[in-house]
Amino acid sequence: MILARRGGIGRYYDINGWLFVAPALGLIALFMVYPILWSLWMSFQSGRGMMMKFAGFANIVRLWNDPVFLKALTNTMTYFVVQVPIMILLALILASLLNNPRLVGRGFFRTAIFLPCVTSLVAYSVLFKGMFAPDGIVNSTLQAIGIVSSPIPWLTHPFWAKTLVIIAITWRWTGYNMIFYLAALQNIDKSIYEVARIDGVPAWARFTHITIPLLKPVILFTTVISTIGTLQLFDEVYNLTEGKGGPSNATLTLSLYIYNLTFRFMPNFGYAATVSYVIVVLVALLAVLQFYLARERDR
Amino acid sequence: MDNLARAYLPRIAGLALASVSFLAVTAAEAKEITIWCWDPNFNVAIMKEAGARYTKTHPDVTFNVVDFAKADVEQKLQTGLASGTADALPDIVLIEDYGAQKYLQSFPGAFAPLSGTVDYSGFAPYKVEVMTLDGQVYGMPFDSGVAGLYYRKDYLEQSGFKPEDMQNLTWDRFIEIGQQVEAKTGKKMIGLDPNDGGLVRVIMQSAGQWYFDKEGKPNITGNAALKATLETVGKIMSANIYKPANGWSDWVGTFTSGDVATVVAGVWITGTVKAQPDQAGKWGVVPIPALSIEGATHASNLGGSSWYVLESSAEKAEAIDFLNEIYGKDIDFYQKILQDRGAVGSLLAARRGAAYEAADSFFGGEKVWQNFSDWLAKVPSVNYGVFTNEADLAVTAQLPALTQGTPTDEILKAIDAEISGQIQ
Repeated sequence: MILARRGGIGRYYDINGWLFVAPALGLIALFMVYPILWSLWMSFQSGRGMMMKFAGFANIVRLWNDPVFLKALTNTMTYFVVQVPIMILLALILASLLNNPRLVGRGFFRTAIFLPCVTSLVAYSVLFKGMFAPDGIVNSTLQAIGIVSSPIPWLTHPFWAKTLVIIAITWRWTGYNMIFYLAALQNIDKSIYEVARIDGVPAWARFTHITIPLLKPVILFTTVISTIGTLQLFDEVYNLTEGKGGPSNATLTLSLYIYNLTFRFMPNFGYAATVSYVIVVLVALLAVLQFYLARERDR
Repeated sequence: MDNLARAYLPRIAGLALASVSFLAVTAAEAKEITIWCWDPNFNVAIMKEAGARYTKTHPDVTFNVVDFAKADVEQKLQTGLASGTADALPDIVLIEDYGAQKYLQSFPGAFAPLSGTVDYSGFAPYKVEVMTLDGQVYGMPFDSGVAGLYYRKDYLEQSGFKPEDMQNLTWDRFIEIGQQVEAKTGKKMIGLDPNDGGLVRVIMQSAGQWYFDKEGKPNITGNAALKATLETVGKIMSANIYKPANGWSDWVGTFTSGDVATVVAGVWITGTVKAQPDQAGKWGVVPIPALSIEGATHASNLGGSSWYVLESSAEKAEAIDFLNEIYGKDIDFYQKILQDRGAVGSLLAARRGAAYEAADSFFGGEKVWQNFSDWLAKVPSVNYGVFTNEADLAVTAQLPALTQGTPTDEILKAIDAEISGQIQ
């Protein structure tokens, strides 16, 4: 009788089950559901510091008239559109190369490429700042081999500062994505490649027609993860530009703007919450779009 | 054994009770004042000195000076105030003058008013003004950011200038000299961080204006001082007499390495300039150049900060008494921190001590402290308002446009638009 109840709808009424998950549910409610709902409520309030009052949709209206927000949004989307495809493609190519069993020193290369994403954020930002300084190793190398005649203003020119941020995040996160691809590649049945080789399919076609389609679920996963990561980009920009998002707000991201609104500027927790919800909405929309593009079409 | 224990038990219990109540009494008597501030060689060291002086006469009060980076102090303070949990906050905190009104206005009731206790008439008026809200004065004025022009005598001499030539400069003359210095010595005139609004603030305040008017409304498009300042900075950039710097330490490096001929900064930079013993005797200090507009002076301010007592502090009374005893009255203390740390306090009575009249051999025997305190009294008082950080970012965002031939009025409009979007 008791056993029979477990499988059906009856198990939802089993008090013992609920007791087991109650502590976890309680903690989730307290530390996740409550803050989320509270921040949503906050995004409809405005004011200085603790002097908050209900403002309706004023914060959302303010978004459209706030040139700094629009600048931060444009910058963030630029990073997203430029950096994510470069990184995904690079990670795919690297993973295919390192999957080759005849490659000498595979383990070394895999470790070397994965290493950046376990290094300290601050350490690597400081290192990048030194490397890309006007008289740093990058500029002196470029000058020595004659690619540029005068040092590139990596940190003081709007365009180059943005480029530097893209270089920095690509360096850090490519290896992370590559590991997912390597794992997925090792699950692909080798006989598929053998058949293709026997049929005379060239290497590049094997990559585009076999590897990429079979990796599609993993590519979708890494793209969504990278989208979330890029839209939340903060540490690199904060450390490379001393927290300012300069020059000329050229590297300012939405997350850095939220930080500024909360800790650097006159604190406006309501407006900062609204900007955070912009990120939430963007991530949701982009994830849905990516799932839609990668859907399995009926044959 | 059993009997023995039974016989001793009441005594043991009594002893335990006695020691517990003894501990409770000492805990009630000993007061520890926790202080948050930044800069171990300046604010932290000075506060420890002040604490040591107070403990001599008040042995029951001890001090816990906590050293954070400035941004961390501000972030922790703002988070603590917003969360409403006073336990996490210190008893005394250091706040930079530009941010004082922001904290006072956005966290009402968070700081203890000191109006009845401290005699504010003895302090530089502009320091008191930034900590006044609705007729109440909060905080204890501390160090001044009175500005000066530090210059390399040797580079200027090689370029054909005498120390007299550096007195009463205008900014246009400063740029002319800079061009000559570069032609003769190959050195740049000044280090400039295009992401830092410090130079703009110094020059603008010297002409008695700020990003905001006396009512705190944005004062950008009609601000003659800001316009002249931006034109000046634009000329410095176009004349290419500056060494670009990225960030604070990079900027400090421009003059400690001997790459530039001048530094425009608050008096607190003195310690950093003097940190290069091999440059002793090569430096001089003069008043900063003036703009060629009405109301222009040679006196200004950069930075500077003050001590604030948290209203929620359990040691509020002791903290206020401590600040008043040492920072409000102790002239000898000000002499000591001036000599040891190069701190120019804003207590006007402290300006008549022996230390202020001493000649400094690093600056070739000039009486630099006397000079700085004379300039301090002349700093134009402005309303820093509550949005200085926002305005600063709006201004630095437009600095690159200055060299691209964009008319200054257009730049002012762009700055105004950005600030208007930020202050709501």
